[in-house]
Amino acid sequence: MSTRSLETEGLTKSFGGVHAVNGASVAFQDGKINALIGPNGSGKTTFFNCVTGMIRADSGRVSYRGDDVTGAAPHRIAAAGIGRSFQLCRVFPRMTVLDNMLVGVRPQGLLHRLRGGHNAGDIARARQLLGRVGIDHLERSEARDISYGQQKLLELAGVLMTDPETIMLDEPAGGVNPALIGRLGTLVRELNAEGRTFIIVEHNMEMVMSLSHHVVVFDRGAPIAEGDPATVQNDPRVLEAYLGV
Amino acid sequence: MRSASKAPDGTTGTSGTTFDRVLLGGKVLLLLAGLALVLAFPGLAPDAFILSVGVTIASYAALAVGWNFVGGFTGYISLGHAAYSGLGGYATALLIIDGGLNPWLALGVGALGVAVVAVPIGVASLRVRGASFVIVSIAMVLILLLVSQSWADVTGGSSGLRVPRPFSDDVLRPEQHERFFYLHVALVAVALLVWWAIDRSRFGIGLKAIREDEDKAQSLGVPTFKYKLVVFVISAFFTALAGGMYALWFGYLDPIFQFSILIGSYMVLMSLLGGIRSLFGPVVGAVIVGYSLEYFKNQYGDSQFHLVALGLMLGLVVLFMPDGVLPAIGQLVNRFRPTATSIREESAADLLARTTKTEPRQAEEVSR
Ligand SMILES: Nc1ncnc2c1ncn2[C@@H]1O[C@H](COP(=O)(O)OP(=O)(O)OP(=O)(O)O)[C@@H](O)[C@H]1O
Ligand SMILES: [Mg+2]
Repeated sequence: MSTRSLETEGLTKSFGGVHAVNGASVAFQDGKINALIGPNGSGKTTFFNCVTGMIRADSGRVSYRGDDVTGAAPHRIAAAGIGRSFQLCRVFPRMTVLDNMLVGVRPQGLLHRLRGGHNAGDIARARQLLGRVGIDHLERSEARDISYGQQKLLELAGVLMTDPETIMLDEPAGGVNPALIGRLGTLVRELNAEGRTFIIVEHNMEMVMSLSHHVVVFDRGAPIAEGDPATVQNDPRVLEAYLGV
Repeated sequence: MRSASKAPDGTTGTSGTTFDRVLLGGKVLLLLAGLALVLAFPGLAPDAFILSVGVTIASYAALAVGWNFVGGFTGYISLGHAAYSGLGGYATALLIIDGGLNPWLALGVGALGVAVVAVPIGVASLRVRGASFVIVSIAMVLILLLVSQSWADVTGGSSGLRVPRPFSDDVLRPEQHERFFYLHVALVAVALLVWWAIDRSRFGIGLKAIREDEDKAQSLGVPTFKYKLVVFVISAFFTALAGGMYALWFGYLDPIFQFSILIGSYMVLMSLLGGIRSLFGPVVGAVIVGYSLEYFKNQYGDSQFHLVALGLMLGLVVLFMPDGVLPAIGQLVNRFRPTATSIREESAADLLARTTKTEPRQAEEVSR
């Protein structure tokens, strides 16, 4: 195994009496496509939110590549090299597709921020990424005017604009038609081949099993099994979590 | 099937189609005509009263543009921005009276002081969003009202404060108005220039992202709190300049009027009416609202009728032009675009994508 990726230790978050994440200790593999699966309400999204600083965990630790990032603000997590998408696809509705992309340009000091937002370098990179997900012809449309599938692609491209080493996707295939799911899978594989680590929450088992190298299964806020897709698929605890009780 | 504005080499030229060029030309012409009209106004005004109405409107415009640094870029609606115009007015006056400063120096130093004061206020109030932020901003102005009223030694209390005039008494009243008209216009111009520069910068793109979806922006690496604070302080600075300029012109400060929620509401109304996302939105709003206010006051005297009329106006705008007057006009113009871009171009695959995902999308939008 190469260097360490994202790791948590005893991560816990409760909402009132609901233990959404319950002492989760997980280690994801660097340079691999990791999947995080589990029944509805098992705490996957809450886990994502705690890790990326969107919500503050009650207790536990989060580290990334060996650095403690527990409780770090979302923009610090982004600066550390982790990009994420949201379960309910989030784009900036009243900004153009191109401007949506430019939000992700990494700021480097005061002068950099005062520079024109529409400079050739940033735009070229944005267009290249939009082309990669196949929506470069929409760059002048407002994000609210493009279709839902296109918004999902835009969200992914926007995350890529931050040049993240690790990409966390929350249900990338949710509400997306089969043809697009295929395209997404190809894209994830390509990006992974470039050296980017993925952590993907997904209910589409076909996609999970074909894509991922390492699978972590959540139930009631904590991992109950992990391993390669074949092993996990045949784990009785996993079957019980999905079918039982 | 790609839009006509897209050149064959794949780059979308900013110049675009002939229509775009005509549109740009039209905008430039309109801008120049507007500017000429503004500059000629003092010469065209028939009497000192009309001239003073012009100064009032210019003052409203300066306030609204100052407000719109926060409102327009971040979408945080501050109803208490009179705090900064009021502080700007008092700071300017007190620096002249007690500090013996030159009036113009007092104006600048006063506004800088207000900007410094705005830092802790921003740190405290920008932690909350939406309605909570609105309430905090109102609380701020109410606190200042109480303080300025009870701290009579310094502020003159309820009886008000006379502000020394910057121009000698030899300068007659209409001439005073004319000078202050141009001074206000210059202030508006500088504020607009700064707004425009921010709008096209990377900083501006980050701010607009905050307005659209703050958490999402932060997850993409935008240091949202810092950005909000910086633009908040800039906003306080320009609002204070507007307040100070008004104090120098009007020559008298009354706490009730300076630290009123009504003044803050005017700033919000003007900006919303003109369009908070447009550079000239607050100016257009200030002209419409300012003119109407003066008209109603003139027609119906000191009654509260002008407030009713104003409320009605706001209602109509929110209902029929939710984005404001300027964006509404922009949409109207866009209808005449030859290659109707309102018809979205999509491939069969996209169409399929849309028809198959309609259900989950709707479900998700409800829960959003
Ligand atoms: N903001 C919140 N307030 C209260 N309860 C919450 C909140 N967010 C999540 N929960 C609860 O925490 C639990 C875990 O929710 P979470 O969204 O993390 O699950 P999930 O694994 O992502 O589910 P799904 O697969 O349906 O997206 C659920 O019981 C949910 O109701
Ligand atoms: Mg979820």
